[in-house]
Parts: sequence; C-alpha cells; structure tokens
Amino acid sequence: MKFLVTLLLSLLLLSIESVAVKYLGLTVSRIDVTVAIVAFLGLRASLLEGAFSSFSVGYLLDLMSGQPTGLYSFLAVFTFLICRLAGTLVDVRSGLSFALFATAADLGHSLLSVFFLWLTSREAAVTSLLSGLFLQLLLTGAAALCLFPLLNRIDRGRDQSEVGLLR
Amino acid sequence: MVAVLLLYPFGAFMVNGRKARQPNWLDRAVLAISSPLQRGLSIALDTAADGWRGYAALRGVRDENTTLQGENQQLRAKVNQLEEARAENERLKRMLGYVQNGPGSQIPARVVGVNPVATPLSLRIDRGESDGVHRGMPVVTPDGVVGHIHRVSGGYSDVVLITDPNSKIGVRSQRSRARATASGGGGNQTLHLENALRTEDLEEGDLIITSGTDGVYPPGLVVGRITTIQRKSYGMFQAAEIIPAVDIARIEEVLVVLNPTTRPAPPVVDGRTVSGGVR
Repeated sequence: MKFLVTLLLSLLLLSIESVAVKYLGLTVSRIDVTVAIVAFLGLRASLLEGAFSSFSVGYLLDLMSGQPTGLYSFLAVFTFLICRLAGTLVDVRSGLSFALFATAADLGHSLLSVFFLWLTSREAAVTSLLSGLFLQLLLTGAAALCLFPLLNRIDRGRDQSEVGLLR
Repeated sequence: MVAVLLLYPFGAFMVNGRKARQPNWLDRAVLAISSPLQRGLSIALDTAADGWRGYAALRGVRDENTTLQGENQQLRAKVNQLEEARAENERLKRMLGYVQNGPGSQIPARVVGVNPVATPLSLRIDRGESDGVHRGMPVVTPDGVVGHIHRVSGGYSDVVLITDPNSKIGVRSQRSRARATASGGGGNQTLHLENALRTEDLEEGDLIITSGTDGVYPPGLVVGRITTIQRKSYGMFQAAEIIPAVDIARIEEVLVVLNPTTRPAPPVVDGRTVSGGVR
C-alpha cells in the first residue's frame, strides 16, 4: 500500500514539477522531489520495501526524462542505500534536519548523475549542468521541508495499519 | 533482490550508454497517465494565473464609485481579454502564415511540461503518434528552430532542445554562406558554433540558419545570431557563440514539421522568418 502511495505521490510531484519548471523558466536547475522521497525512504522504510520503492521512483524519473536509460533507477536505489546507511549515523527527526539530509542526498545524486553522463558522453556540458546545482540544492531542500509533514503522515498511517494488523 | 534492483539498471545504462530504448507497454501505460496529468496541471495553472491577474487588477479600485467601478472593471476585463486574444491571434496568425509558407506540412502543438531532469533538456508537447508525429521530426516556431522529436508515445512527444549538449545542427551564415555545426551549450541558453574553418567569413551579428546537411532540419530555418567569435592563433577552425532566436525558456506553442525535406523554409528577413499570410 505504501509502495503505491509513494509511486502515485512521485508521479504527481514529477508532473507538478515539470509544469512548474516551465512556468518558472528554469533552464538546468530542477527540483529533485524524487530524491527527497528516496531520502525519506532511506530513513524510514525497510530494506526491501525501500529499495523497491526507490527503484520505481527512479524508473518514473527515467521515463519522464524522455530518455530512459536506467541511470536514474540505479541512482535512486544507490541513493536509498547510502541514505539508509547515513540514517544510522545521524538523527533526522525535524523538518529542517530532513531538508538538510535531502539536500546532501541531492548533492550526491546530482554529482553521480553528472559523472555517469560524462562517462558515457564526453561531450556532455558538465560545467553548465553544475552551474545550476546550487539553486537546485536550495529548491530541493525547500521541497523536502514542505514534503516532510506529508511523508511523515503517510509513514505514520502505514505504521498504525501495521500495528492493527499484528494485534 | 536489492542487488538486482541496483545492478540491473546500472548494467543496462553501462551497456546502452545514452541510447534510449523505445517505450514498451509499461512505459506507454505510465506516460498515458502522466502526460494528461501534466496537461491538466498546465491548464489549471494557466487558469489560476489568469484568475490571480484578474484579482490583482481589481484590488486597487475597491473604494471607487460602485457604478463606475463596475463599468471600469468590465472594461478592464474586456481590454485584458482583447489584449490576450490579440496577442494570441497574432501568434496564431504568424504560425498560420508560417505553416502556409513553411517547410513541408506542419502541425501546431502546445507545450505541456518540461523534463524533470536537466539531461536531456527537453519539453513535452501534446502531439504524438496519433497525429502523425515520428521520432526525428524537427520542431520549430516562426522565430526559429526549437529542437527535434526524441520520443513519441500516443498523443504526446518529447522534444530535445537545440540547447541540449548532445544536439548538433548543420548550419550556415546567411550573409557569407559559411558552413559550420551548431551544438547545444547546456543550460546557459547559448549554442556553440563549431567546425567553421578559419578561412570562413564570420562576423558578430551574423544570422545563422540551418544548412539542411544534417538530414533533420530543412535548410533556411533561423537558428540564432553570432554574439562572440574566438579565433585562436593556431588550429584549423574558429569558434563562436550563438544566441538562439527562440526564447527556449518561454515557449508555449510550437510547430512540428511532418515532412521536413519536401521544401525549404520560407525566406528570412531581418532575423525573422517571413510568413506571407501575415506580412
């Protein structure tokens, strides 16, 4: 159930983002809403559920990029695993700390994506992609801050239903 | 299981590189859901923006005489509507004129969204297979070249922009007829002029048009203008920066050229494509 909710939320947020980017006139800066979701999964979801949800979210991003190559599916699962590992080292409870956590995850995700794109196509304009990174991190952090209550609510809903089932 | 989820897409990416696969049934199903959602959101945002503009326009006249205020509001709303209609009419007339005189048959399309990742730089339009759109078709506006169709699915298509780093267009200078290649500069809204021999006559301000040698774009479409030229003291080639003729960040409607090779683009005068139906 949580998997489906995550997937639908990602689809909705990606659609909103694609329209918002058009209206804001952003060129290379994007709002990595999917990374915020994956970062949250890294903190709260179980290994298998989180990996599967992250893969699905990455697949959606791959598909909406217009050029599905598998890169974003891989990066989503990889980011999830790193976030899961980092989650054992840091305490992320408030919205602000989650925003910082998601921003850090987005930094890693973006640098890896630029690296792999450069690896497969040496002509890719790495500098231009990196030039939009700072704004992208700010926007993603802000989006994570806004999404935190919603993601928490979804997570709590899942926990309560599971407790009920066990009893 | 986790290892498979991690390594399968990684392997696919490393094997195929940046060559995108054609959409399968699952891709098409997801796109069939997401594309109308984008279109709906786009329309909803348009409506909300219009409503907000109307509200903002009305706020300042709250204390005025009620009758005059009402009349004023009505007139303002009408003027706004007429202005909007006039602007849209002009855009559409230019498009119509361009379609009548343009390169091959074309269909208009509306931009419904922008790619949520910056690689490739692409747009989604509301025309697809059902409208006769195929991969590789050029996408233009009366101002100039926008890009080409990269992926088609149902009633929607993705357009890779000319500013994408992997975009290459065969071009020539309209003045000197010097040939070169224009490649995308990424997000900085410029194109790089490459492969122009040092001996070629290029000047700042030169209008750059498509040469038709790349097999995608018909000859004569406006690409942009040269802003800076770099001639090093060595090497065979000179380089230049081009500002695209089309404001990529603000495109609302485009034209898809269905059979680009049938006839050349209409003539270009003073940096704009002449559309006989209008001028």
